[in-house]
Amino acid sequence: MKFHWFNLMPWPYLPDDFTEKHRSVWVDVDSRLFDPVKANRIYNDYLDLLELAEDVGYDGLGINEHHQNAYGLMPSPQLMASTLARRTHKAAILLLGQSLALYDPPTRVAEEMAMIDCISGGRLISGFPVGSSMDDNYACGVNPATLREKYHEAHDLVRRAWSDPDVFAWNGKHYKLRYVNLWPRPIQTPPPIWIPGGGSVETWDFCAEHKYNYSYLSFQGYVRGAQLMEGFWRRMEELGSDFNPYQAAFAQQICVADTDAEAKRLYEKHARYFFSRCLHVYPGYADAPGYRTEPTIRAGLVSQMAGQSSALNQAAALSWEEMIEKGFIVAGSPDSVAEQIEKVATSLKIGHLVCLLHFGDMPNELCQHSTRLFAEKVIPQMRGMWKDYEDHWYPKPMPLEDRAIPRQVTVPDTAAGREMGLKEVG
Amino acid sequence: MDMQTMKVGPEQREVWYYRAGQGEPLLYLHNMLGLQGFEPALARLAESFDVIAPFAPGWGPAKDQLPEFDEGPLDLTLHGCDVLDALGVERAHVVGVSIGAWMAAELAAIEPTRVARLVLVNPLGLWLDDGGGEDPFAQHPGFPSQALFTDPDGRKRHLIEGRDKVDAHVDELLSLRASAKFLWPIPDTGVKRRLPRIKAATLVVTSDGDVVVPACYGPAWRDAIAGARLTTLAGAGHLAELEQPEAFANTVRAFLEDEAIAAVA
Repeated sequence: MKFHWFNLMPWPYLPDDFTEKHRSVWVDVDSRLFDPVKANRIYNDYLDLLELAEDVGYDGLGINEHHQNAYGLMPSPQLMASTLARRTHKAAILLLGQSLALYDPPTRVAEEMAMIDCISGGRLISGFPVGSSMDDNYACGVNPATLREKYHEAHDLVRRAWSDPDVFAWNGKHYKLRYVNLWPRPIQTPPPIWIPGGGSVETWDFCAEHKYNYSYLSFQGYVRGAQLMEGFWRRMEELGSDFNPYQAAFAQQICVADTDAEAKRLYEKHARYFFSRCLHVYPGYADAPGYRTEPTIRAGLVSQMAGQSSALNQAAALSWEEMIEKGFIVAGSPDSVAEQIEKVATSLKIGHLVCLLHFGDMPNELCQHSTRLFAEKVIPQMRGMWKDYEDHWYPKPMPLEDRAIPRQVTVPDTAAGREMGLKEVG
Repeated sequence: MDMQTMKVGPEQREVWYYRAGQGEPLLYLHNMLGLQGFEPALARLAESFDVIAPFAPGWGPAKDQLPEFDEGPLDLTLHGCDVLDALGVERAHVVGVSIGAWMAAELAAIEPTRVARLVLVNPLGLWLDDGGGEDPFAQHPGFPSQALFTDPDGRKRHLIEGRDKVDAHVDELLSLRASAKFLWPIPDTGVKRRLPRIKAATLVVTSDGDVVVPACYGPAWRDAIAGARLTTLAGAGHLAELEQPEAFANTVRAFLEDEAIAAVA
């Protein structure tokens, strides 16, 4: 089983009365709450955490794309991926999202991903989500009625641009390019493709057809997730696809402390910050007309009538114990967490766990603590899981000895620089 | 009133429509939510006119035709002409509400000889930067068209009651999807450039309770169409013909029958 360290990169300074005074964390969130000077520290802390994750043994470093969103400060995940490509050398770069329909021409995505794959020596995992309605339709203005056909056309174009060695013309419905000729091209042919999704049947079929990894990204936790993944695996079987747990990934909020009680003391307030302030999304931005297909709308209405809440922030009202019980968060001592993670892995049958070890306004040092405990005391207990399956959805990089080594960076002669104990180089 | 079907145009595209009444032909182009049957306002108009009310491509039974209509004004106007041709109607009064008013204005601008008189009720399609107004596509998905009614129970009464709840809700969302295809993300369709081509005598109608097309849009449409008149309906939201069917029908009929308006050759 593989473990990826993932950070949404939330803004940690949303005020205590955020949910009363503001209608949404996304799309029309008040830009006066953002402070670019504080963001200097925040971005660098978050990138430090991603780099640390490689050092302590995570298999992948996860980043994604959101726009006009105070819980996701990564409008361009490629920018994050490019710095990780230089500053890390082992872990996969799990780029879980470029929403293809947002880019015209989408060959730009193919180009940038190829650059990252080259710089990193072939460590890229390319995620191609349709993207959320908030991002695609409201923040970026893409028409919801044609979003999916645009996405599929962009996907076909990117795949061909990566693989066709000749110049070709693309006369599509949404994109018309007389000369497609990608420079550069990725090392991997192609990089593993993961499709982050929220549970639409069409996405499952798409993954089966192309043998892509399906990454279920939700903040509803693994108990609800298990129901959905059951549907996914059933559908894969119907479509004649051989079961392989590595064809699926799941994102889960996780925090580890020395004891269960300590976990509650250390992390509860940060989880509350996430579930309450970060998921405070105006419902009018959740689902533009046409964003979901008719079968998905119909299935959603039926489950709502059966009493299942679809509210993003439903965990905010729960006690800490209920959050754990319902799977919104996996928390506790290393052994309790390992026990919960085993449930996640076996009930969802997933080979890739995307570990949301940073959430809400968790400070850097605390997140390091949780990140290290999980790596040192939980991952080793779970490593052997799914050992009989081959992982076709993980990068196949160049041999390390053949790869370029980036020049050592110099550190400025400031108090912070001296504290790092690094010498000026060169 | 039973729905009828016919095949129109070179593609023999299926059209679902209602037709009733006697008199001069009146082509009715529906609002963002399609047709809720042969609506009471239409029945009232059918007392004086030969009312033809088709589902536009993308709405109701024509929901699967939406991908065929990528070039909004041109495709929709050609389709409108195909409908008139199939019924043997050379020239008709055209009455449109909401998104239907935009389609009506396009038809009158691009094919001016086929439109006798034109009525545009709460028309979408123009954009004023300072116009304000509610975004009809950024509403709670549980009751996405609530803002189109002044009556808080309007949505329930006009769309849901007497129907399967899930079916009604799905229809509502799919109708909004079709509207979004032509109006996303800002309802600026470019019709402004074509409005000066309209030859038909035109009445612009706004509702005093319409939060989607606020009152300031009335003068903007009137001033862009030569000789157009402007009037206001009281007690109605964006879907005036559902909330005030009597006043709506009376206003439309009075204008279409007004003998003081010179006929346009």
